[in-house]
Amino acid sequence: MTVPSSHLLILAAILFSIGVAGFFLRRNVIVVLMCIELMLNAANLSFLAASRMHSLDTPGGRIDLQGPIFAIFVIVVAAVEAAVGLALVIALYRRKQTVSLDDVVDLKD
Amino acid sequence: MSAWLHLFTLELAVVAIALLVLLWDAFAPAAGRAVGWTTALLLGGVFAASFFVDGRGTVPHGVFVRDEWVVFHERLFLAAGILGVLGSIDWLATRTPKRQAEYYALLLFSLAGMMLLAGARDWILLVTCFELMSMPLYVLCAYGKQDGPASEPKLAAEAGLKLFITGAASSGLTLFGLALVVGMTGTTHVGGIGANPAPLTIVGMLFVLAGFGFKVGAVPFHMWVPDTYQGAPTPFVAFLSVAPKAAGLATLAIVLLGGWSADSSVWLPVLLVLAGASMVVGNLFALPQTDARRLLGFSGVAQIGYALLALGAMSRGGLAMTLFFVATYVFTNLGVFFVLHAAAEEGGGHSLARIAGLSRRSPWLGGALLVFLLSLAGIPFVAGFWAKLFVFMEAWNAGLVGLVVLGVALAVIGLYYYLTVARSTYMADGDRTTPVPTGFALRAAILVCLIFVVGLGLWPRPLVEAADRAAAGIVSGR
Amino acid sequence: MVESYLPVLILFVMVVAFAFANMALSELGGRKRKNVGKGEPYECGMEPEGNARLRLSIHFYLVAVLFILFDVESVFLVLWAVGARSFAETGVGVFVFAEIAAFVGLLALALAYVWRKGGLEWDR
Repeated sequence: MTVPSSHLLILAAILFSIGVAGFFLRRNVIVVLMCIELMLNAANLSFLAASRMHSLDTPGGRIDLQGPIFAIFVIVVAAVEAAVGLALVIALYRRKQTVSLDDVVDLKD
Repeated sequence: MSAWLHLFTLELAVVAIALLVLLWDAFAPAAGRAVGWTTALLLGGVFAASFFVDGRGTVPHGVFVRDEWVVFHERLFLAAGILGVLGSIDWLATRTPKRQAEYYALLLFSLAGMMLLAGARDWILLVTCFELMSMPLYVLCAYGKQDGPASEPKLAAEAGLKLFITGAASSGLTLFGLALVVGMTGTTHVGGIGANPAPLTIVGMLFVLAGFGFKVGAVPFHMWVPDTYQGAPTPFVAFLSVAPKAAGLATLAIVLLGGWSADSSVWLPVLLVLAGASMVVGNLFALPQTDARRLLGFSGVAQIGYALLALGAMSRGGLAMTLFFVATYVFTNLGVFFVLHAAAEEGGGHSLARIAGLSRRSPWLGGALLVFLLSLAGIPFVAGFWAKLFVFMEAWNAGLVGLVVLGVALAVIGLYYYLTVARSTYMADGDRTTPVPTGFALRAAILVCLIFVVGLGLWPRPLVEAADRAAAGIVSGR
Repeated sequence: MVESYLPVLILFVMVVAFAFANMALSELGGRKRKNVGKGEPYECGMEPEGNARLRLSIHFYLVAVLFILFDVESVFLVLWAVGARSFAETGVGVFVFAEIAAFVGLLALALAYVWRKGGLEWDR
């Protein structure tokens, strides 16, 4: 008895929704970055779930590798995003002494 | 084995220059303008080489295709990169003399990403190139100026953060959409969607579309554009406002016209709504702006709307005219930002009042600004006129009559605010009378932009033909 | 449907049981001594008490970011290492090795840059 792949896809969708909701609702930049990471990891989970679905469907045990390979590149994207994002947050904090998006309002009409 | 490595000659050359610049700076730091000029000259060499290194072909499994489409884009991005470097040399050498090499290296990495993007036909390569293009831009956006007015670094950090947060979120959106698409279709090939895709594939593709919409700054994903343009360093904004937009439009063309043309009834309405909304919001919000860069930000949103309109014509001609439009926009917008940068660099910021009387102080700069603004507005016999005319003609031929009428009406509004800016440089009196000091590199960059804008206005034919050949790589047929 | 999650439930129960069993065993069988060091959460290492809002050196961040970036390198190396034998058998071994060497070489250049720029110096 195995966990059906659709459950994994639903879990990924829920994770992604939490990420999107947090992205729009939270005001702390660090938390917003975490929400973006959550979105990327939801994408990873979907890649793996879909690839697992294809592998289980294919008779003869041929493993679908596109999902895992894509997921590795998403990991790279997430790592670079974390590095650049944290660097920007630190630059902002050193200059404005805040990490709240509510205080980042100098650029406007 | 590596019978296809030569297809990447130009891209590898750009990456090699970037590494050279970085290591040069780390191990034998050079002061002054040496690094910048070397970068510009080497890039110029790569641009010249693009006319001789002429490999065409396909990487195994069709992951990357180098055809006329890629060649066109490589030259366009290289030209934008050279001008972007030229426009930054004086600014970097005087304002951040100790930290110059990173700027050029990051710009070159971004450039390499764009050049590879045009030929990518596999989602993994496409996304990786897109991120290679985007990541350095986030950093460059917040590039600190330590000796300027105290507000400058704050604004740059804020601009960088805003670009990063929208960019990173849109990456997340794109990747999640792609997870659905790749998961449903079982292939990572861009053309693998085919006719009659599963509902989840369509949902995924709409996520992907939204993600790319953020990157090109189309309404309703345009919020970051004016803020970023206002806060980031101006020579960089010049580059940011053209090259990534061109790359984003190229990606949209590859994905929609190349990969998903079988189901245009799904995405065409979305694309046309984005185009119409961008034209309306861009033009109307540009009207009340008092900061030159915010005005150009909204004008850029409007211009993306016109480009998307031509893309929506879904024909080879329409795609060709998108390319022509984007190419003229590259030179025009680079020129405008460089002139504004020159005017702002002597102090006083980028408010529109700052350039009042510019043409009396520096007739040369004022005249260049006038030509660029006329081109953005679409006045006859500068490049922008042909661009707008061809875009509207192709959209009209494709039956998008309503949007063409809307576009023409909004172009008149555009004419109003562009000419208001131009008028103040001629009619109004500024508070200074001495000529605006400009460095040699910046003047050279403005001159090159001017030559292209005027030249393409008088003789658009070669570029139109090149764009048409390039478009054939994506859309076959008429 | 639901019974397929039974292994997850068993794992969960085992994890909790293991944690509590260890605490109970050390309570029953361990020697008991009372001194200041024993009262603290960690017997060695950083002082765990004090204001949580203390300032950390920016170098913690820099080292952490560099670690993430070079850490991801290993993901690709593992992929190559796992497939290396079958690459060699299908005759692309040298080519793939050249690719991975170029990748590691690029990262070595990046490391040289970081080193030279002082990113690895702890007290500066």
